[in-house]
Amino acid sequence: MQGALPGSEVIRRASKATVLLQAFAGVLLIGLAIMFGVIANRYSSLQDGIRENALWSLYQLDREARKLHESVHVAAIEGLGSAEALSRTSQRYDILYSRMSILEEGNFDRRFGGERDTGPMIAEIDRTIRELEPAFDAINDEGTVTAQTLRRIDTLLEPLISRTEALLIYANNAVSADRADARAGLLSLQIKSAGLVALLVASVGCLVFLLRRQLRNVRAAGFSLEFMAQELKKACLAAEAGNRAKSQFMATIGHEIRTPLNAILGTAELLQLSALPKGVGDGVANIRRSGQALLEIINEILDYARMEQGKLTVAAQPMVVEDTVRPALDMLRDRAAENRNEIRLALPEKSRLPVILSDPTRVRQVVLNLLSNAIKFTADGIITLRLSEIRRDDADRLRIEVSDTGIGIDEEGLGKLFQPFSQVDATIGRRFGGTGLGLAICKEIVESLGGVIGVRSLKGHGSVFWFELPAVAAEAPLAEAPEEPAALPRRRILLVEDNRVNQEVAAGFLRHLGQTVAVAGDGLEAVRQAEAADFDLVLMDMQMPNLDGVAATGLIRQIAGPRGRVPIIAMTANASEDDRRRCEEAGMNGFQSKPVSMAKLREAIATHAAPPATSAERRDFDRRRGEIVEALGEEGFAELLDSFFDDACALLKDLHASLAGNDGNRDRLLHTLKGAAASIGFRELAAACQEARDRQLTPADIRDLETTINACKSRSTA
Amino acid sequence: MNARLFHTIAAALLALSAAPGPAAALDAPKGEVILTVTATKLTHPNVDGTAQFDLAMLEKLAGRSATMETPWTTGEVTFAGPLLRAVLDAAGADGARLKVKALNDYAADVPIEDAKALDTILATRIGGKTMSVRDKGPLFLIYPFDQDSGLFNEKYFSRSVWQIKEIEVVE
Repeated sequence: MQGALPGSEVIRRASKATVLLQAFAGVLLIGLAIMFGVIANRYSSLQDGIRENALWSLYQLDREARKLHESVHVAAIEGLGSAEALSRTSQRYDILYSRMSILEEGNFDRRFGGERDTGPMIAEIDRTIRELEPAFDAINDEGTVTAQTLRRIDTLLEPLISRTEALLIYANNAVSADRADARAGLLSLQIKSAGLVALLVASVGCLVFLLRRQLRNVRAAGFSLEFMAQELKKACLAAEAGNRAKSQFMATIGHEIRTPLNAILGTAELLQLSALPKGVGDGVANIRRSGQALLEIINEILDYARMEQGKLTVAAQPMVVEDTVRPALDMLRDRAAENRNEIRLALPEKSRLPVILSDPTRVRQVVLNLLSNAIKFTADGIITLRLSEIRRDDADRLRIEVSDTGIGIDEEGLGKLFQPFSQVDATIGRRFGGTGLGLAICKEIVESLGGVIGVRSLKGHGSVFWFELPAVAAEAPLAEAPEEPAALPRRRILLVEDNRVNQEVAAGFLRHLGQTVAVAGDGLEAVRQAEAADFDLVLMDMQMPNLDGVAATGLIRQIAGPRGRVPIIAMTANASEDDRRRCEEAGMNGFQSKPVSMAKLREAIATHAAPPATSAERRDFDRRRGEIVEALGEEGFAELLDSFFDDACALLKDLHASLAGNDGNRDRLLHTLKGAAASIGFRELAAACQEARDRQLTPADIRDLETTINACKSRSTA
Repeated sequence: MNARLFHTIAAALLALSAAPGPAAALDAPKGEVILTVTATKLTHPNVDGTAQFDLAMLEKLAGRSATMETPWTTGEVTFAGPLLRAVLDAAGADGARLKVKALNDYAADVPIEDAKALDTILATRIGGKTMSVRDKGPLFLIYPFDQDSGLFNEKYFSRSVWQIKEIEVVE
């Protein structure tokens, strides 16, 4: 911005001035054109005026009159001359006569540019000349003339001379004056034209100046716009950074709250496992329920934070519609009963699309949210969860409605729904609680699934919240046999957890599940223990002092031998996609979100904990054993095994010796061990020998081989 | 008729005797001499080293008749007479310019190109009649204003001499 005026105002003014100047220049041009027209007109009238020099003709007339007079006068005084002289005098008259006729017939301005009409003067002269005609005719015819006639002619010629002289003088004056006038007129025209041209040049100069100024202003405006754009960009980035910081803060706070909450919930669960006095049992149940509610709220906040960061993801997979919504209903049945509400499920009589492609977890989340809202705002009423399949725009849609007979929402309130942090009115928050984020999250989820969400309500008569999802038929997922939790085999489990309460809770769960538990307080200790002893499973916390879960996993994976291949499961409250990826990259085998519960731990152990030998290994060994037993009998096989292990011990000793110096038969030793292991059916040992042959042998490798041999030994005797 | 026949025969004889030499010498004027052409060197002089013409001699030469307006006449007027270059050829005169002299001792300088490039005539007749001295006769130098309007200005007006009595060809 320049001076006191904003750039745009300056530009507007300049363009106004430009328009005015342009108009002025136009007027000037028109003036010039008119001037040119006038000059052209003058010129053309000058062209019209092209005529014999009138003054010259008058002069000639005067001259001829004088010559004639002189000739006649001389003849009259000196007496009559020769015939030739007479003839010359007569010719003088003829010439004068022709001069006169030129004046009469010729194309002359008889005013000679003056005011007087010279016509009467000319007529007088003409009359005199014609008066002389008979006399000269007679002279011509007779060839003589009398002195008397000559004197008469002489007296007649005297006034003629004075008349022609007067005419000549008048004409000369008039023509001179006319010429001066014409010159003055032309000069004034030229001055006017010059003035116009000067004005035109000035206005063009002004235009150029204005245009330059305008260009400068436009450039300045451009710069200021650019500057403004940069400022806006900065502001926008700052706002985004602020928002990100807020989301990050929410995520952090959520995590910080969840850690102690996990401890509370876990402890409560553990307590419930032990026999408790009646009153205490109820209290513990209460603690657990309240904790769960708190956890839900925190999860909601974290979901919202994720949503803000655009990290709320949905994954379409085959979803059994009824199986997805029914558990939600079941979960809330108790809570509904607290408000003396009846909760109903209305399914279509005949379902065409029992299984569709959607995200069951997210759909359940939405249903749960809508149901818990309905329960919250309804007392002594009925809450109905209604499923229907509709067809719209040539596409199948699954419609889920949650209707209640609660307090309802007025027009104004409906507008605020689905917006984050909004509750219908401030008193709602105080009366019913809640974050006000639930519906915003629901909307986000439904829309990411390609659906729409809506509500209709009447204050005092209840509400109907509904959403519709595109329903694409899908194959039902393989039905998981609802197996009773079988007793888990006893496994050796390394629990890595820095929080002491969580340590105790998880360790309590694991012991309850009949597992052997070793506890490490941080990543470093975990690596040390994993290196020193055999484990079937590592449960690894992610955020720990000294060494975090990812780094510890990396170190464990570097341990040579089977100890480096132990399954590791991450346990974290921070279950973002990013974390998942980092865990996988570090070499973890699975992922379990916190808080840990007995069920989750059971699942993790069942899925990931390796039995002492892999099942394939076991199968291999059993098959081989069958064959050998068939050939040699049980005793024969036992003897074979004994001699194998004896040989193996001897070979290991030789290998140790080879390390000391004599390494020539190291490869042979390993080859022998590998062949023996393979023939007995110890595939893992054979593979380990082969692996050892391929690289520089170290004492650690030999120790590993020894461990493997011992494992084989314990397995074969099992 | 007889005179005409005689003229034809005379002309034929003259042509025979003269051929293939330069054009025949000019006849002596029989009537009143109305034009005298003088030059330092004339090819065909007929009287005292000058070429003198009577009306008949002039009207025998190649000429032209043209109707036009002039500043000295009223309305359209027809002028007729020999072409100036035909007169000069007949006299056998050549030079850079002509000094055309009138009875009243007026004289105008006329470039020879005006005779050669333009169909300028020495008008002997106006409206079919010969011209007396009172009618600006006997000879009037008329430029072809009808052929080229660009000639219609004072420059050529001042060269349009009337009452011509003599043409002097100057080197």
